[in-house]
This record gives sequence, structure tokens and C-alpha cells, in this order.
Amino acid sequence: MEQLGWGAVAGLAAALPVGVLMATQHMASAQEMSPAGWLAFAAYAVVVGLVLIAVARGSRQGLAMTASAGVLLGTLGWLVFSLTLEPLFHGQLPTWSAAAAAKTYPELVGNVLHGALTGLLLHFVAGVWTLKLREKRDPVERARIVVVGGGFAGVAAAQRFERLVLRGAKLDVTLVSDSNFLLFTPMLAEVASGALEPAHISAPIRSAAAHTTFHHGRVDRVDPAGREVVLESGETLPYDHLVLAVGSVPHTFDLPGIAEHSFPLKNLADAVALRNHALRLLEAADRETDPRTRRELLTFVVAGAGFAGTEMIAELFDLVHGVSHYYPGVQPSEPRFVLVHAGDRILPELGPELAAYAMERLAARGIEHRLNLRVTEAAEDLVRLDNDELIPTRTFVWTAGNKPTPLLGSLTTDTSLRVEGFEHVWAVGDCARIPTVDGGFHPPTAQHALRQGVTVADNVAAFVAGRAPVEFRFRTIGVLVALGHRTAAAEIRGRRFAGLVAWLLWRGIYLSKLPGVEKKIRVLFDWTLDLVFPRDIVVTAAAPRRSKVRVR
Amino acid sequence: MRNTVGTDEGRATKGATEAGRAMKARDAAIAGALAGFAGGAAFAGTLTIQGQLATVASIVHTDNVVAGLAVHMVIATILGVGFGLLISRQRARAGETVFWGLIYGAFWWFLGPQTLLPLVLGKPVAWDLASAQALLPSLMGHLLYGAVAGIAFVVLQQDTDPLWRNPSRGMVLRGLIAGLAVGLVLGLPWEGLLAGAGYALIASPESTGPALVRGTVYGFAWWVFAALTVEPLLFTVTLDWSQQAAARDAHLMPAYVLLGAGIAVGYTWLGLIAKVLFTDDIRLVRTEAAGKRGLRALGYGALSGLAGGLVFTVVMVAVGEFPLVAQMIGSHSAVAGFVVHMVIAQILGISYAILFRRRSFDLTSGIGWGLSYGFFWWTLGNLTLLPLFTGAPVDWSAAGIAAGFPSLVGHLAYGAALGAVYHRLERRANPWWQTRSKVVAEQTVARRDQIRGAAPAMWVFTVLIALIIPILVGTAP
Repeated sequence: MEQLGWGAVAGLAAALPVGVLMATQHMASAQEMSPAGWLAFAAYAVVVGLVLIAVARGSRQGLAMTASAGVLLGTLGWLVFSLTLEPLFHGQLPTWSAAAAAKTYPELVGNVLHGALTGLLLHFVAGVWTLKLREKRDPVERARIVVVGGGFAGVAAAQRFERLVLRGAKLDVTLVSDSNFLLFTPMLAEVASGALEPAHISAPIRSAAAHTTFHHGRVDRVDPAGREVVLESGETLPYDHLVLAVGSVPHTFDLPGIAEHSFPLKNLADAVALRNHALRLLEAADRETDPRTRRELLTFVVAGAGFAGTEMIAELFDLVHGVSHYYPGVQPSEPRFVLVHAGDRILPELGPELAAYAMERLAARGIEHRLNLRVTEAAEDLVRLDNDELIPTRTFVWTAGNKPTPLLGSLTTDTSLRVEGFEHVWAVGDCARIPTVDGGFHPPTAQHALRQGVTVADNVAAFVAGRAPVEFRFRTIGVLVALGHRTAAAEIRGRRFAGLVAWLLWRGIYLSKLPGVEKKIRVLFDWTLDLVFPRDIVVTAAAPRRSKVRVR
Repeated sequence: MRNTVGTDEGRATKGATEAGRAMKARDAAIAGALAGFAGGAAFAGTLTIQGQLATVASIVHTDNVVAGLAVHMVIATILGVGFGLLISRQRARAGETVFWGLIYGAFWWFLGPQTLLPLVLGKPVAWDLASAQALLPSLMGHLLYGAVAGIAFVVLQQDTDPLWRNPSRGMVLRGLIAGLAVGLVLGLPWEGLLAGAGYALIASPESTGPALVRGTVYGFAWWVFAALTVEPLLFTVTLDWSQQAAARDAHLMPAYVLLGAGIAVGYTWLGLIAKVLFTDDIRLVRTEAAGKRGLRALGYGALSGLAGGLVFTVVMVAVGEFPLVAQMIGSHSAVAGFVVHMVIAQILGISYAILFRRRSFDLTSGIGWGLSYGFFWWTLGNLTLLPLFTGAPVDWSAAGIAAGFPSLVGHLAYGAALGAVYHRLERRANPWWQTRSKVVAEQTVARRDQIRGAAPAMWVFTVLIALIIPILVGTAP
């Protein structure tokens, strides 16, 4: 405010010599010499002064810069006032013609001179003002925020924090993650089936949240009492507010052999390993003669028929049959796919009709299912179900259980995302049990995590600023599940879609959600090329030492 | 801890600069005086040819030519000291000081012959068009004075200036190629060659947008130099800088402006191509890929173009130019004209985003680049392409320029709105002042370079060119 006052003063002060010169040298008409004319000129001068200080606010730009700004503003002022407003005021339409410019030429010179003078004055005034301000101002205290986790929730929170800082929130945000990219998990199954390149579905955090301090590292423990996060490297990060978005890890319920012999599907490395493994099995099966071993090699079992499991079995089917023409030793009828699920129908997140549709589509391709059954044991070459059925297989994908990443015990929050039992700790995403306002819990999906990230950032900023946090409210917009080649099922705001329409919806919606334009374009290219070229069978990693493919 | 270190460092740096500045101020004053002397000598040469030295002598109430020369040289030297002090904090390279010299000269034309001289002589001060037109030769002389003083200042400082480097053979070659190519298109091959070689001297390592503005100003200076000065001297051995003579040669002004802009763009692009093809060190090639945020910048450009286009619409409606614009697509309706106008406004907005992305560090620079860009497009768009697209003859004569003046006002308003809105939008998305030390450091350096460079001088000079136009082509009321 004080600064604006100085701007007005400088504008007026500069107007004085210019006005006097114009008046005494007979360059102003009688009308302009009237009190109203002087008043209008003073008003113009104040406006120019105010605009100039607003333009050059705060920083000492240097004499040349401020004076240049003054000249530019003076010219614009001439365009606006003398060429436009003045004719309008006299009830004429402005013509902006060369003749009009010639007529108002004295005012142009006056305005340019006035602008330059205002700039000169402001330079010195603003200089003094900045010095005074510097003495008065204490260094700003910024609340230290540490976000742990680089998934949807963590990155959404960091991006929201950046926006809030831009709007003036006093925050210093650090994001810690053990991967330096945001993984777009809905497309993970397509990476496992070789339809997409691994790097194309992941966006570097450093670019997604470009103004957040990023730490690549694993968190060892959190000390809520001392308010610090200890990294495995030994480094400690003190915080004023901690946002946990650490996601979940596979939960095997301590069943024998499962942790050792199953493929999880949580990160990029899992997906790449699964793809390489499947291709290696095909290579082995091509020249394998023993029927029992062939059956093991060509049977693929997925436990858990949620989104991840269902999409995975469909994608594995597409991969194996999509490349089987390369392997003359493998008969098209040989590969076997089994989906094991503990519930009485697959895809519990979907309505019963769509779930039935999905199951029918899968079954029509020959994908077997075992409902109401659990996997009780896994070994190198077989899987045992709880009805004692043995399925010989070398490929067993486990998507039947997840648990929050253990860091602070179980993380249950209140409706505004604060972790119960801890001060200044907030939790979002898959790692937290977040109650809905009507008593249930929010499902662990990406669409919820994204909104939770935004809300937690708003709430932390509100808390820091001394305002009350808001409740997290969000109703699932819709669910989409891809069922392999050109088929999907979707339920969006209660409307159900199936088949090609749903598949196009799936691709369109997830493509639009993929972070970053570059990755969108790359994925679009991958998909387009996939239309005209067969899938790649390049095995990109050497066989692991304890391979499930026995070398004879 | 960090804070204390920062303060200590700050104090140390500040002390060093204070010392440096104190020393530099004396040097700058001396160098400025010498530069002013050189500029004064050039100006005096033209005064002698035109027989104007006696007028200068009237300040000391004689009409002795020698006294006039002495007075002139004293004033020139004193003004030179002021020039030296003013630009001692700017980046002292030829490309930069020439522009500061030009506006310094122009500024003194307003303040000297138009204001102070009549006051001293006890005559009425008249800022009207007629006297400005009468004083046009003096303006040319002042511009010459400023340019020569700017160059002389650099020459005097080049031993001590670490930033000074002589243009390499490659740079001159680039200038020649660009100059010849653009000159052939415009029918000014020889002038193009010379101007191209000269551009290598004043070029600065910058992106296409700022180069374009530099070239625009450079082209105008060449019009004064080549069309108004050298050619008459060579062919008729006279030096006529009167308004009538300038108006006669006004048809060459757009050509020279486009020549300068074209040379600057060509020179910059040839440099880019050479960099891409022949540089094996990636650090020198690019600092940031264009994608990602670049696409968003394009969106912002389109939006800013829309805002500027709406401001421009006011002028278009008042002047009734929409039907003319509509002829570009073979229609005569004002609505079609409005649509075409807005589409062009958006396309130019996008091009502004490409050319001036991350070049506006505050509102001043946003408006400055925008105004300059608007002026350039008046020359290229309104004076040149619009007639070409609507099948009308291209009319660069004084009358044609006068007829295009409302459009110039519109283009300037468009540019100012475009630059200001784009700056606001970019500020939202590209908060360069936020954390990330490297980003901040890079931007601060770029900003300092820009402020210490000639950017503000170029904006002001572009506006000045726009203001000279009524003097050139207008008829006093």
C-alpha cells in the first residue's frame, strides 16, 4: 500500500514540470488549462505512477530498466488517453489515424517525458523503499513438509504444494521416494505383456514436481516424537508435517512358498521380469519333449481376480498367443491359463452383470477359473489350491493380497487425513485406511489417491496457516477393466459399457490420465505400432541364477 | 548457519562491487567523454555538410561557425560523460551500447533541440508536429551521435572488458549469407550483404525472439544510415535529412526493417543449425528440450494472442478493417473478418510463445517484448502480407504508411496485451523463483544479462520508431 502511495507521488511529481512546461509554453488548449483539465492530467499521472510501481514492484530493476518501463508506459498512456479516451470523452469515435496522432503530438512528447521522469523518480524512491523494507523484514519461516512416497498420492500432493506455494503458502516441500519416477500402475499389465515400453508408463518425479526438493532413497524409520524421517543412508530429514503416501506391498499371509515362487506385480521391475520370464518359458517349451515339463512351462496361474489379476491373465494370454507363431514347437492349444479367486465371482469391484460378462469373455478364450478357492502353497513347479488340486506351473502371479508398507504401524486416519495417534502426521493413498463420511473406507485406487494427495496438501497448508482442515469427500467416478484384445468392461457413474466401446474408453481415459504429454505421445505410438507389428520377443535380461527354467 | 554464510558472502560481494563501481565510474566517465567526443565529431561532420553549425552557435549568441563547432563539441563531450555513467552498469558490448546510444541520442533530441534549446534562447517550446518535422535532420544527427558514441565507448573499453570478443570468420559468414538471402528477397542484395556483415558485430548469443527485435531496430538504423545518408552522399553529394526527403524514402523503411529482422533471424538460425551439426559437446547445444512444458507454453501463447486480439478488435471495429481482412479468405463479411483476425492473433500469440518463452522476467519485459513484436508484425503483416494476401499492391510509400497508422496503434496495443498476459500466464506455470537452486540461478543470470544488455533500449527504440512515423508521414494540422 505504502509502495503504491509512492508510485502516485512519483507520478504527480513528474507531472508537475511537464504540466507547467506545457501550460506556460502554450501547448495546452484553454479546455486543458481549466481545473477539470488539470484534474484529468493529475489523474493520468497518478494512474501511470501506480501502474509503473505495480510493474516494477519490489525489485530494484536498475535505472535503465525503470526509465525504459516509464517510456513504454508513457507511450501506452498516449495511445489509451490521448488517442482513445479523449475523443470518446468528447463524443467522437477514436480514429487512431496519422492525422489524429499528429494533432495530439505535443501530448505524446509530454507523456513520454512524464513516463521517463516518473521512472527516474521511482528508481530512487523504490531504492530507498527496498532498503527500508530489508531492514524491517525478518527471514520468512517456512514450514518443512516431507512427503514420503512417489506414487499417485505423493506426487499429487507435491504438485498441489507447488501450486499453494505459488499462491503464497510458506512451505518448504521435500519428497522422498525409493523410485525416481511416478509409475502409472494401470498400464503395468501391458508392460508385462510387452505391449508398452517400461519407461513409457513412468514419469520422472523431478520433472513432474519440478520445484519440489527430491530425495531418492528409502526411508528406514520415522521418529514421530523427534519429528524426523531417517533414511536408510543414515540421513535425517526433520519435518514440521509428514505426509505418508508409501503405498502397499504384496501380502502373502505367510503361506508356504508363495513369497519365494510367485511373481508380484507392484513395480516396473516386476512387470519386466514377468515378461522376460514368459518369453524364456516359450523358448524352452519350443524344444522341450517331456509332456509333463511342457505342461509346467506352458501353464500360467494368476491368484486374485481383482483388476490387476484379471487384466494380467488377459494380457498374458495376448502375449503368449500373440507371439506363438515364432515358436513352431508350441501348439496353439497347449498354453493354459488359470485364474484363481477366493470370492464367488471375479472383479468384486464391478457390478455382478459386468463381472459375469468379463468372466464369460475370458472363459470364451479358454482361460480357466477356480472360484471360491485359495492358493495354499506354491513350489517351483506347482501351485496347490485349498481343495488340494495341484496345478503344475512355472508361472505363478500373486495379486491376491496387499498390505500397507510397514513404516508407522497401521495407518488409520480421520476424515481429514490426519493419522490417528500421531501429531503432524498425515497419510494418503493405499497405505492408509481413510474413513468415508458415511462410515466405510475409501478403496485403494488411483483416482482416490490423486484426490487424497490434493486434499492433504490443502489441509496441511490450511493447518500451517491456522485454518481448519476439510474432510476428504470423493465418490468413485467409475471403474474400468481391460480384458485383453479389444475388450474391456467399464462402469462410469452407474452406466455400464462392455466390449470395444469399453476398451476404447479404457484406452482414452487412461491415456488422458497418464502424467506428462511426452509419455502420452510415446504410449500412443506404442499402441499404434502394436496394431501393425507383432509383439517383440526380445528377452532383455539374462536368466536369473535361480531360474524357473531348468537348463538341461 | 546458511543464513550467516549468505550474509557474509553478500557483504563481501557488495564491498567488492562498490570498489569496482567507484573505479569504474571514473573510467566510465572518461570513456564516455571520449565516446561523446567521437560521436560529436560525426554529428559535427553532418552539420558542416548541411551548414547548420551557425544555428548551434546561436546558443552563445554568435553566428561564428568555429564557435558553433566548439560549443557543439563541448556539449557532445559533456553528454558523453552522462552516457558513460549511465551505461557503465550495462553490459559493454558493441551490440548493446549501440542501442543504448541510439535511445540516448533520441532522448536528447526531445530534451535538447525541442525543449531546452528554445528555453535557453527564450523562444516558445513547441512540441508540435510541425516543429518536430522541421527538426527531423537534428534527430538523425542525434541518432548518429548516439550510435557512434556507443561504438566508440565499446572500442575504448574493449581491453578491459572480458565479454568483448571479435566476431569470428564464421559469424561474419553467417551474417553475409543471411544478409544476401534476405536482401535478394527484398531487392536490396548489396545493402543486405553489408548489413549482414555488420550484424555479426552487434549480434548477441540470444534466442530468436530477442534477435528479431534487435534486427528490427538494426534495420531501422540501416534505413537512416543507408537510404537517408550514404546513398544521397554517394550519388548526389548532398545530405538531406529533411522531412520531405525522409518521406520520399519512406518506402524503403519497411524494406530495411524487414531486412534487419530477417538478417537477425537468419543469422540466429544459421547459428543454431551450425550448433546442431558441428558441436560435439551437448552442454553447448541445448539447456532444455522443447517438449512438455513447451506445449503448455504454446497454449498460453494462444490464450495471450486471444486476449491481445480482443484488444485489437476495438481498433479494427472503429476503423472498419474487418471486411478487408475477410478478403484474405475471399469473403467480405465483417464476421468472417473477425474470425480471420482472431485466428491470426492466436497464431501470432503461439509464435510469440515460441520466440519469447522465458524471456519475460517481469511485466516490463513482457510489455517490452510484446510491443516490439507488435511493431514487427505491423511491418510484416499489415504493410506487407495483408496486401499480398488480399491481392492489393504493396504500398510502402509515406501515404501507405500513413493509411496504416491506425493498424500500427492496434498492433502496439495487441503486442502490449499479448506480452503482459503471456507473462502472467507463464509466471503461474513456470515459477522460476521457487526453490530448485539451479533453476533460480540460471534464470537470475539470464535476467541480469537481459537487464544489463540492450533489451530495454531495444523496446524503447522500437516504440520510438513507431512514434517517428507520424513525423515522417504526417501533415501538420
